[in-house]
Amino acid sequence: MKHRHTSLWVVLAGASLPAAIALAGPLGLPPVPVPANNPMTPEKIALGSQLFNDKRFSATGEVACATCHDAGKAFTDSPLKTSEGINKLTGTRNAPTVVNAAYFASQFWDGRSADLEDQSQHPFVNPVEMGLKDHEPILKIVRSDPTYVAGFKQSFGVEPAAITMDHVKKAIASFERTLVAGDSPFDRWYFGGDKTAMSEAAVRGFKVFLEDGRCVSCHTIEQDHALFTDNRFHNIGAGINRIQDKVPEIAPKFLEAKAKGVDVDKAVLSDPNSSELGRFAVTDGLDELGSFKTPTLRNVAVTAPYMHDGSVKTLRDVVVHYNNGGVTNKGERVNDFLSGGIRELNLDEQQISDLVAFMEALTSPQHATPAQAASAGGQQ
Amino acid sequence: MKTKIIRHSLAAVVGAAIALGSAGARADEFTKQEAERWEAQFMQVVQKGRELWTSPALGKNGVVCAQCHPNAANSHPETYPKFQKQIGKVITLPEMINWCIRNPLEGQPLAVDSPEMTALVAYATYERRGVKLEPGKH
Amino acid sequence: MSNHYTRRSFLKTAGTVAAVSTLPVTLVEIAFAKPQDNFTFAYISDSHIQHIRAGKFVNNWDRGLIRAVAETNLMTPKPDFVMFGGDLAQLGTKAELDHGAGMLAKLNAPLKTVMGEHDYYLDLGEYWSKLFGPQYYSFDHKGVHFVVLNSILTHDEWTFNRWPTAEQRMNEMAGLDNPNGSPFMVGEKQRDWLAKDLAKVAKDTPVVVFSHSPIQKIYKGWNFWTDDAEQVQALLKPFDKANVVYGHVHQIQYNQIGNIAFNSVMATAWPWPYPSTYAQAETYLPKLTIPMNRADPFFERDATGWQMINVNTGRVDLAYNLYNNRSRTVAFDHKRGHPADTQFQDVALEPNRAHY
Repeated sequence: MKHRHTSLWVVLAGASLPAAIALAGPLGLPPVPVPANNPMTPEKIALGSQLFNDKRFSATGEVACATCHDAGKAFTDSPLKTSEGINKLTGTRNAPTVVNAAYFASQFWDGRSADLEDQSQHPFVNPVEMGLKDHEPILKIVRSDPTYVAGFKQSFGVEPAAITMDHVKKAIASFERTLVAGDSPFDRWYFGGDKTAMSEAAVRGFKVFLEDGRCVSCHTIEQDHALFTDNRFHNIGAGINRIQDKVPEIAPKFLEAKAKGVDVDKAVLSDPNSSELGRFAVTDGLDELGSFKTPTLRNVAVTAPYMHDGSVKTLRDVVVHYNNGGVTNKGERVNDFLSGGIRELNLDEQQISDLVAFMEALTSPQHATPAQAASAGGQQ
Repeated sequence: MKTKIIRHSLAAVVGAAIALGSAGARADEFTKQEAERWEAQFMQVVQKGRELWTSPALGKNGVVCAQCHPNAANSHPETYPKFQKQIGKVITLPEMINWCIRNPLEGQPLAVDSPEMTALVAYATYERRGVKLEPGKH
Repeated sequence: MSNHYTRRSFLKTAGTVAAVSTLPVTLVEIAFAKPQDNFTFAYISDSHIQHIRAGKFVNNWDRGLIRAVAETNLMTPKPDFVMFGGDLAQLGTKAELDHGAGMLAKLNAPLKTVMGEHDYYLDLGEYWSKLFGPQYYSFDHKGVHFVVLNSILTHDEWTFNRWPTAEQRMNEMAGLDNPNGSPFMVGEKQRDWLAKDLAKVAKDTPVVVFSHSPIQKIYKGWNFWTDDAEQVQALLKPFDKANVVYGHVHQIQYNQIGNIAFNSVMATAWPWPYPSTYAQAETYLPKLTIPMNRADPFFERDATGWQMINVNTGRVDLAYNLYNNRSRTVAFDHKRGHPADTQFQDVALEPNRAHY
């Protein structure tokens, strides 16, 4: 079956290119937003890839961005629940995929970074990730290693001594902007007009997605593209349920610590209770207590486990959580700060499994497992 | 000879028209009584729409349209069809009414061409009469 | 959108606005004019707990009240008291009032209440009074005289003679836009009581009136109306600083009439469109009001909320905590002499999100 593959790599491999590349989105996605102050060039992208994969930028020399964002695992560390940094130290958050992260209006589960550039600097200096004290070791390496020196010169026209973290961040972000993937069975069925691209179960599941499942309001689709995220923050009862009785104690204590200068990035990754405060920890907004960013659903079938804390194992478990109205087990107490969009859904077994089938149809060909690649094209 | 026959046929046709309705009426001509009669029939449907607008039988949780949309305010019938973010595509007013029946009212959607849906649309647009059309406006 | 309770925003708005805070006071440098004169209380209103059958209630309204109570309980320092602004129930049944009272019982500050029409017209407030006490009363707190009115009464003819059953009477009053309804009023008996009550109060004592109906005439078709508004306003006229806080309208409104500042409170249940959006009627919206943004119907808490009220040197400032929506602060602007939105009074809010 012919795939309509508008992959970025095809564009890059083309003949003579202008200095900067404009990125058309793949099928189902809009053009990739590129900031004016960081135009994409082949050199910058290659440099960013090198930085992304470099283990030397960690206290033990063993952890790179690619450690938790592995290209062979759709740029996650599935099936890890929460990521492991240096010395296998774990934090509190599940590594989100970098694929299509370029379309987010903010980065991290709680949106504490405004863009890819800003996000890239934090893991280096987080004690449970790369564990560096500051960015100096990185700058030392990029200013002396010959391939880096050449790369930065070609990308930014900058001499070694003048290389700063700003350049490093820009290069990494440029590389990440090439990690976009659409062209899933759903895209081909819905935008591409191929009525055989999705299985019957997935087609039924799409109806559940739009209607009884109430998914589309947060996991948005539009007339000509689908990001599957509204870029907003919602409390859906993942994680916060565990600490809901402690919230009156934890929330004021956290704000107190923050007023005294505690770094949010370090606090939320190291303290499992503070971590559950979600977006509130970043904005102090009461209506964002326990709220996390709506992730994209693209490639969700290959990026288990789910939720910001990796606490939900399978897609079926996810649907059941929503079906229960924001609790893992039916009848558990719903937390007081639950988003207004969440409530019991009364889906039956057929609808649940169809919805799962639909989500499995959101995997892009380049990230599909061999089993999925075989069944893509809708033989069920 | 031919013209005579034709004249006779015309007369027959005209006669039939008189028997059915306004004398000598052509195309979409109608009398004042007809207009009043049809408008009254429309208003009956509007009245039915008002009853449904306040009826707990539309959904399953007792909530009625009028609770959030008194006199159909904030329903914006003049802006449809439009992109509706809660549904992810461009839709018509009846589809949005069904969204409301499913979601805040927790009920079952109506067939888009059913008398009930027609009545709801008639009521909402009647309460909005005089407002200029702005299809697509969010 | 959310309030940003950062130190910086406190300092910027200090002195004129409710400090909606979860920080201990010692960490925040607030420069109030005479700090000992200022105090805060929370206001939760219009929860419309609605019974479906047996043990089932409308989940949407339940969640609104639950959330408001939970958030009020997070406030540090604790509010002096919590006012409930009326319409606890939807149809005034014992089941609804009990269900709502159970949620309010979780508040960790003292509760006082105002009655709404949805609480009243089934049994004329008999069960309400058992749960919450008198339907109208006054009290003094930290130098301010507070009055609570039952301002949702109506003509005796409608209340006692018009309807064959109490249930039908309640159902008719429950429809906001129901042409069979009847205008709200305070009534002669309470006005007489109010006159006597206020006679004992010095004219320079700040007076705050809690009422369900607006003590103004805004739009009769939706009973955003108090028929004897002028007479009640006349009773408040002699006071230097009079304030009316009212519920019922499920939207942000504020106004100044003479010496009296008017402020509405939000509902926890659902928001209403502004009467000016009803194309077939002439309506009057208090012209000072910068309307709130309209809500996304998918997010059930959008444009619902509760408020923290700061009584600051005798005038009320309200911080509206609205979910998903742009939170607002309406404070008494001493220079202008009337309530004003601290951010948006002179700029359009977000025209593309306004009600129309």
